[in-house]
Amino acid sequence: MTNEPGGMNEGAGHAEGIRLIRESAAAVAPRQGGLRRIRALRFTRPGFDPAIWREICAMGWVGIRIPEGQGGAGLGMAEYCALAEEFGAALMPEPLIGAVLATAVLPAALLADQLSGRRLILPAWQEKTGALHAPLATSFSNGGVFGHKIFVPMAAGADGFVVTAREGYALVPASAEGVSLVLADTQDGGHFGALSCDDAPASALAGDFAAALEEATLATSAYLLGLMDRVFALTLDYLRTRTQFGRKIGSFQALQHRSADLKIQLELTRASVAAAADVLDATAEPASRQAAVSRAKARASDAALRLTREAIQLHGGIAYTDEYDAGLFLRKAMVVANQFGSSAWHRARFAAIAPDSEDEGP
Amino acid sequence: MTDPFPPPAEVLDQLDDEAFRLVVRRFLAENYPPALRNPPKRLHWRENKVWYLKLAEKNWLAPGWPREYGGMGLSAAKQIIMTEEFERYGCARVNDHGIVMVGPLLIRYGSEEQKRYFLPRILSGEHIWCQGYSEPNAGSDLASLRTEAVLEGDHWVINGQKTWTTLASDANWIFLLARTDKRAKQQQGISFLLVPMAAKGVSVRPIINLELHDEFCETFFDNVRVPRENLVGAINQGWTMAKALLGFERIFLGSPRQSAYALTRLRRLAEHVGISDAPVFVDRYTRLRLDLADHRALYETYVAKLRRGEALGADVSMLKVNQSEIFQRISEFMLEIAGENAGLLEPIEGNRDLHPAGIFIQARPASIYGGTNEIQRNIIAKNVLDLPA
Repeated sequence: MTNEPGGMNEGAGHAEGIRLIRESAAAVAPRQGGLRRIRALRFTRPGFDPAIWREICAMGWVGIRIPEGQGGAGLGMAEYCALAEEFGAALMPEPLIGAVLATAVLPAALLADQLSGRRLILPAWQEKTGALHAPLATSFSNGGVFGHKIFVPMAAGADGFVVTAREGYALVPASAEGVSLVLADTQDGGHFGALSCDDAPASALAGDFAAALEEATLATSAYLLGLMDRVFALTLDYLRTRTQFGRKIGSFQALQHRSADLKIQLELTRASVAAAADVLDATAEPASRQAAVSRAKARASDAALRLTREAIQLHGGIAYTDEYDAGLFLRKAMVVANQFGSSAWHRARFAAIAPDSEDEGP
Repeated sequence: MTDPFPPPAEVLDQLDDEAFRLVVRRFLAENYPPALRNPPKRLHWRENKVWYLKLAEKNWLAPGWPREYGGMGLSAAKQIIMTEEFERYGCARVNDHGIVMVGPLLIRYGSEEQKRYFLPRILSGEHIWCQGYSEPNAGSDLASLRTEAVLEGDHWVINGQKTWTTLASDANWIFLLARTDKRAKQQQGISFLLVPMAAKGVSVRPIINLELHDEFCETFFDNVRVPRENLVGAINQGWTMAKALLGFERIFLGSPRQSAYALTRLRRLAEHVGISDAPVFVDRYTRLRLDLADHRALYETYVAKLRRGEALGADVSMLKVNQSEIFQRISEFMLEIAGENAGLLEPIEGNRDLHPAGIFIQARPASIYGGTNEIQRNIIAKNVLDLPA
């Protein structure tokens, strides 16, 4: 019963859709087996596999949040979270969450290209570190974008960017004049792009990016959930098989109790993510949505760092080698934990928006 | 014409969850003695008797017993709603060992005669039960218990000592685990016995706990003789029966109410000492709120399981560990911010909502009773994570 994906939290309404998502994810984002493909892609450009990206598009996953009438899959957040969780468990470098986020503001023709994989548009929404919302300096006027966007994951693979500006959203082609992209490697072997626009020609976009940003944050929490679920499974396997002092090390109480605590953090994250997905699927009310998302992201970020850190310690020296897989999970967690707002930022937002209701006690 | 309130159990069981919740709320508003709301300590029989008898009168005393035995026959899901509403309303816990333990034990394993004799007397409040499990040298390792029962003719002769017998001084009956076969392996030589507290050789000594409350007792058995028929079920099967009695009620050890209650007191304390807006307070307070909110989400997944009619597995231990430790963290933070008030024996300025020391002390045993958190972690490691022995 340890590693049933999603085990206990799925409501009957979503259960079947979630099961199908997980099953279909297994082919592209395997939970089991080696991580050779993931290793091979590290520190390469664009850092993910275009062929796998085409498969992802063919599965219809980029359009998971787009209504069926517009060519998408029209699925809910519970399903999207299940998918992101599977991606996390497989340490997928393909930029699903960014691509899904961009679909919120793409007009029909571009959307069709994005969903089919003909083009990859990634969001460039961030100007400050660690925060989901901050005042923007980027401007968009007379068809030109001025500004500097940072931390765009997998930017090297993008054909264009959704740029958030004070005036609204703009689509900036990667090859446009006045656009420069500087890449910085990340711990997991991927990269962030820093996008500078100096009167870059752009077209205006319409749509609701704010709500989609919340969804991307929750999907990121689910990605972390999958990641920690798998690294914990890896760790338990090791504890069950590694022998020292003539005993399986998993029989030592010091390690058992640490493992029990990690299991609790893992299940709290699962419950928190599932509860937040239910909130997003049930209400359009911004404060409730934001509070639920912040709660899940704060938990997932902290728990993912803890689980991956402890995975190293519970393994011992072997996990300090790059050859052993535990490090892949740690370095992925280091990159993802602070994306879409750090745990500290989300706690502060939760404190600011979630009413401290008497419902918490008599 | 209005229907009688509350509706009979058959009708209650058919209500949907929300309608049932409203019935429970109305029932409490109409019937619960106002003076007994949110008692600071576990009440004695002389104090909570009025509520026990009110529940008995309304036939609301035994939500989980089948209706044929005078219970309400409610589903696990409805019993949880009832408990949630009782907790929310701040209801005192009654002397409920007869209801929660002895009733289910006898209904499942008792003889017809035992059922006929004991069950109505529990429901009427004539018999108040206490539990004789732990011993001075058998706490977490309960199976090492040494209280002994030897069959002499038609009587069991019992010698030994039980401890943590909650509210034994209120009780007129005790159900106990005693060793009936010293040669068998530890778990296999234990039997269930029912003993009147008035029997010759039974004596009770209250234990004053850290709350300076006499909730617990030590109970001594010195050549106590009870009839042979006071054995429940088969001889030497007591351990198996005791384990089987650990039903879905284990979920209540993980109920978020205790922490929720403490958290509101933390906030009021912070307001009282004037730090509720200080960033350093807000950050830690928010962590605790989030801990509790996520705990509640996890708890709800178990409630949902019960609602679907599934049994609880060993993983329910996670709830107990997490809840008790959140409760303790809240109480420790209260002590930290309370200044010198942290040392007060009584609530600050007589305000029962401002009693950091009281909550801190109350939080101590939460990680001990019901199986220490260390035992719970052992259970999680072995039975959930499948780690080797």
